[in-house]
Amino acid sequence: MSSPLLEQFLARIYVDPQARARFLADPQGEAAKAGLPADQCLALKSIDRVGLEMAARSYSKKRQSKSKPRSLWSRLFTAP
Amino acid sequence: MEAGVAGAGANVMLDRVGLGWRPELAGGNLSNLDHIDVLEVITDDYWNSARGIRAVKMLAAQRPVVLHGISLSLGSTVPVDSRRLDKMARLFDAVRPESWSEHLAFVRAGDIEIGHLAAPPRTAATVDAAASNLEKARAAVGTMPLVENIATLIDPPASDRGEPAWLAETLAASGAGMLLDLHNLYANSVNFGVDPFEFLARLPSAAVHQVHISGGRWIDNGDPRERRLLDDHLHDPPEPVYELLAELASLCPNPLTVILERDGSYPPMEQLLRHLDLARAALSQGRLRKVA
Repeated sequence: MSSPLLEQFLARIYVDPQARARFLADPQGEAAKAGLPADQCLALKSIDRVGLEMAARSYSKKRQSKSKPRSLWSRLFTAP
Repeated sequence: MEAGVAGAGANVMLDRVGLGWRPELAGGNLSNLDHIDVLEVITDDYWNSARGIRAVKMLAAQRPVVLHGISLSLGSTVPVDSRRLDKMARLFDAVRPESWSEHLAFVRAGDIEIGHLAAPPRTAATVDAAASNLEKARAAVGTMPLVENIATLIDPPASDRGEPAWLAETLAASGAGMLLDLHNLYANSVNFGVDPFEFLARLPSAAVHQVHISGGRWIDNGDPRERRLLDDHLHDPPEPVYELLAELASLCPNPLTVILERDGSYPPMEQLLRHLDLARAALSQGRLRKVA
């Protein structure tokens, strides 16, 4: 019950706040719109909402920290 | 310093304890190499340039090095990216480390980069897909990576089995050994209502060769009753992690290489070295329990 399409759907709701809000308002409907099969749509209806918000926040912080310029100290000891 | 020495003769398994190499800790690491048995290097920081590869080779001349990947997305149902595998193979060939490791996670899907390790749905399909990706990794690099369990704040959607079963099935299907992250195991256990020692008991301990230890902090969405433990690598390992390490040492027949991970809020080097000693003590305690 897993597929590249399901991973793409999950990745989108993890990184895109608007997609996440639409999904949380209508989990099954948004999953169906994305072309996911019925069993995955049903499974997503009972998604861990608390964890979804926390995970999305954590991923966002990670992406931000990766885009920050590296310190001089860091550049001295890592490859360019 | 080998753990057998640090453990006052109690530990005869030649377990080793070391640190994740971080640029900010370079000075402290290099001036305390006699206390660090092994260094773990993040592959993505070095595999893009000849200069980076030379740097890791120089480090490997000082101390045993193990390589650790973070971006191969081996837990995905999408086939692993062959360009990234080629980079891994080039770095591995140049450094000839003792081993390499990666996570059972997906980090991207289509054109979306998640930015960190995400837990795949725990299903038969992801067991098969991970095994297939691991075989491709073995073929490209020449040796199978050890695979690491990840921490997740969200119970992976659309899963039909628990984490211990999914990990055990993936190890069996791929033939890979395990890098067991004990703080990830602990965090997932407390976040999703599982006894961490029961979780550990359900894993095939004979597959474990390396261990990560680290720390984290509690977070919530505004309601402290629904808090969860975030594995942030910014804090010291909590006591239960050492208790789990001792328990693992009592179960596992293999010599273990334990790596302390720290990714920021760096404490004085002495504090990190104290935690290496705590890990050595836990290993010795567990090995004694095994003998008894």
